[in-house]
Amino acid sequence: MTDKNLNLDHIIPEDAREPSLVPAPAAALASLVVPGLGQALTRSVRRGLILFFSFLTVVGLILWRFTLAAPRDTGWWDIFKKGLYLDPFLIVVSFLFAILYLWIAFDAYSLARDRQNTPLGVFVFLAIMFFALGWQIGKINLYSFVTNADEALPALGRVGWPWEKAISYESVIFQAEADIEIPCSETPPAVNVVTDEPTLVSSPTCGILSVQEGEPGSELHLEGYNFSPGIEVNIMWKDPIGNEFRQRQGGKYVIIIPDENGYFETDIIMPYRLLPPSATEPTYIWNVFARQVAERGKAKLSDDFKKIVEKMIETIFIGMMATFFGIIFALPVSFLAARNLMSASWVTLLMYYLVRAILNIIRSIEPIIWAIIAVIVVGLGPFAGILALVLHSIAALGKLYSEAIESIDPGPIEAIQATGANWLQTVIYAVIPQIVPPFVSFTIYRWDINVRMSTIIGLVGGGGIGFLLIQYIRILDYRSAGMCVWFIAITVAILDYVSAEIRARFT
Amino acid sequence: MLEVRHLTKIYDDGTQALKDVSFSVPDGEFMVVIGLSGSGKSTMLRCINRLIDPTEGEIIWDGVDLAQLKGDDLRNARRKIGMIFQHFNLVKRSHVLTNVLTGRLGYTSSWNSLLGRFSSQDKEKALVALKRLGILEQAYKRADELSGGQQQRVGVARALMQDPKMILADEPVASLDPVLAHSIMQYLEMLNKEDGMTMICSLHYLDLVQRYSTSVIGLKDGELVYEGGKDDILAMTDEQFKNIYGEEAERVGSGLEGNLQANAGGVA
Ligand SMILES: Nc1ncnc2c1ncn2[C@@H]1O[C@H](COP(=O)(O)OP(=O)(O)O)[C@@H](O)[C@H]1O
Ligand SMILES: [Mg+2]
Repeated sequence: MTDKNLNLDHIIPEDAREPSLVPAPAAALASLVVPGLGQALTRSVRRGLILFFSFLTVVGLILWRFTLAAPRDTGWWDIFKKGLYLDPFLIVVSFLFAILYLWIAFDAYSLARDRQNTPLGVFVFLAIMFFALGWQIGKINLYSFVTNADEALPALGRVGWPWEKAISYESVIFQAEADIEIPCSETPPAVNVVTDEPTLVSSPTCGILSVQEGEPGSELHLEGYNFSPGIEVNIMWKDPIGNEFRQRQGGKYVIIIPDENGYFETDIIMPYRLLPPSATEPTYIWNVFARQVAERGKAKLSDDFKKIVEKMIETIFIGMMATFFGIIFALPVSFLAARNLMSASWVTLLMYYLVRAILNIIRSIEPIIWAIIAVIVVGLGPFAGILALVLHSIAALGKLYSEAIESIDPGPIEAIQATGANWLQTVIYAVIPQIVPPFVSFTIYRWDINVRMSTIIGLVGGGGIGFLLIQYIRILDYRSAGMCVWFIAITVAILDYVSAEIRARFT
Repeated sequence: MLEVRHLTKIYDDGTQALKDVSFSVPDGEFMVVIGLSGSGKSTMLRCINRLIDPTEGEIIWDGVDLAQLKGDDLRNARRKIGMIFQHFNLVKRSHVLTNVLTGRLGYTSSWNSLLGRFSSQDKEKALVALKRLGILEQAYKRADELSGGQQQRVGVARALMQDPKMILADEPVASLDPVLAHSIMQYLEMLNKEDGMTMICSLHYLDLVQRYSTSVIGLKDGELVYEGGKDDILAMTDEQFKNIYGEEAERVGSGLEGNLQANAGGVA
C-alpha cells in the first residue's frame, strides 16, 4: 500500500505502527462476538470503540422501531415477524443491519492483516445504515406522492389558481307572469305580447283548478321568451291572496331550461284548489309565472376575497406595530448591550453581560413559541401576535443596534469635539450619521421579517392572515386558502423588494 | 506663543505617555514633532486641545492655561485650534460639504445644529475653503467616495473653517503616498506662511521634516530628547535623525523634487 521510498512514519498514527495482537481470523471472530472488539485487538482501540458504540446505537434504534411497529406483540420473534409484516421498510433496515454486523467483522479481519490499511468502507456503510433508519423514522414515503395524487391534485390546483373565488356575481331575478282566470268567463285576460323583456305567454288564459281526489284541472301551454339561456326556470303560481307556490307535475317541481335564444315551452296541468269551495267568488285571477335566478349581475369581489385582503392588511400592520414597539424598546436596550459604552466600570459591565444574556435567550426562542405563550396570556387575536413579535424584535434589534453602536468610529467624534462643538453637536454630527444608516437598514429588514413571521404566527391564533389560512384549510376551502397563500407570497415579494431598495439607500 | 510646561500624562491603565515635557512655540512657527510610534506624539497634541486631560503641567497659550479650561471656555479655545488627523476622521457617510461645515460648529448655536442649519456665510466660507484646497467639485459627494489625499484636504478645509490661530496635525500624511504627502504638506505650509497659523505637526519622514519645519522637538518614551531650530535640522544627517527617531525613520524619496515643483506651482 505504501511506497517504500517515502517515509510516511510521521503521518501514520502511532497506534498503527505496531502489528496486530491477534491473527486476522481471530480478530474477525472477536468482532462477531463483540462488534469492535476485533479492531481493539488489532490495536485500533479508538476505531473499535467508535464501531462498538455505533453498533449499540443502531441496535437500540432498530429495537425501538420494531417495538413501535408491533406494539401489541410480546416475544422478540413475534415482534420481529409482525414488524417486518406491518412495515416492509424494516426488511431493508434488517438486511442492512446484517451486512453491517458482518462488515465490522470483515473490517477487523482486514485490519489485522494490514495494520496500515484503514479503509473507510465500514464507516460509509454505517452512514448508510443511519440514513436507512432515518428514512424509516421519518416515515418517508415517496410512493405517497403517486397514491395520493388523485386527491391531492384537484386541491392543489385550487390552491394554485384560486381566483374564481375572488369574484362573485350579484344574483338577478328574471321573472314573467301571465294572468289566468278561474274559471273561464266570456272575457278571459288578454294574451301577453312578446317584448324584449322576459315574457310568459299562456294559452289559454283561463281554466279550472284540479280537485283533490277528483278531476284534473285544465291544461295550459306555456311559452317563455327572452329568459337567460341555459339557466333553470321555475314555474310558480300566485293565488289571489298572494301565496306563492311552485308548480308540480307528477310529484316533482317543474323546472325547464331555456334554449340558446332564451325560449322555452311546456304544458302544465293547473294546480289544486286550496281554498274551500264555499269561499269562492264566481271568478278569480290567478297568476302563473316563470322565475329564473341567474348569477348574471355585476361582478363583484367575493366576501372571502375581501376578508383575505382585510386580514392581509391586518398582517402587515401587525408586523409594523411589532417593529415599531420593537424599535422603541430595543433602542434603550441596545445602549445597555453595547460593550464600548458599558465597559466603564464593573457594575455596567455586569449589566452588559446580563442584558446580552437575556437578549440571547429571548432571541433563541422562536416567535411562534412566544405567540403560543402570548395567546395564553392575552387571548386569540392580533394583539397576541404583536406581543410575540415585539419580544423577538426587541431581542434581535437590540443585538443588531448594539453591534452598530459598538462599531462606531471614534475618530469623527474626536475630530468634531476638537472643533469646539458641544456635546449635542457632537452627537448630531458625529454619532447619529454613523448609527442611523445601520439602524434604518436593520429596522426595515426586521419589518420585513416581522410581516413574514406574522403570517406564521396567525396559525397559532396570533391574528392576521395566518389565522384565516388555517381556518380555510380546516374547512377544506382550498380556493380561499390558495388566495391567502397568493396574497402572502405577493406581499412578501413586494416587501422584500422595497426593503432591499431602502436598505441599499442607507449603506 | 504656546508654552508647554512640565506636561505629564499618565493614562488610567498606568501607562506614562508623557514625562515632564516642556517646550515653547512662538507664533507663526512650523514646529515638527518627531519620535517613534508610541513615544507620546499623539498624546501630546491631544493634550494641547484637551481631547485628553493632562495629568500635570501647564499649557499656556496667549496667557491662558489651556489645561485649566472647562466648558464654554474650553470650547471657545478649541475653536481657535484646528486639528488634522492621520486617518482624516471624516464622517464617512456625510457629504464633503457637511464635513467641512462641522468646522463651524463652535460658532453655531445648538438650536441651529438641532435643525441641521448653518448660516449662508458659513456655507460660502466652506465652498471657498474647498476651492482653495482644489476639491470644490467634490463638495456634494459622500466623504468616503473620495481618495485618501482628497479626504485629507477635506480635513484641512474643516480645520480652516475654524479660523484657527494654530493647527495641530497628528501625522497628517502617514496614510498617504509620497506625492500626496507633499501636496498636503504644501497646503499646511501655505496656511502657515500665508495665513500665519502656528503649526504643530508630527511627522515620520526626515526629508519632510527638513523641507517644511522651522523647529523640531523629538520625543522618546514620553520624554523630550531633542530640540532644534531650522539650521540644526538642515544640518542633521540621517544617522542623527535615526538616533533620535529610531529605525523607522525613512525618506520619502529623492526623485520627487520635479513633481514637487509642479505641485508647488499648482498650489500657489
Ligand atoms: N487611551 C490610552 N490608554 C492607555 N494608554 C494609551 C492610550 N493612548 C495611548 N496610550 C499609550 O501611550 C503611549 C503613547 O502613545 P501615543 O501618544 O499614541 O504615541 P504616538 O502618537 O507617538 O505613537 C503608548 O505607549 C500608548 O500605548
Ligand atoms: Mg500617534
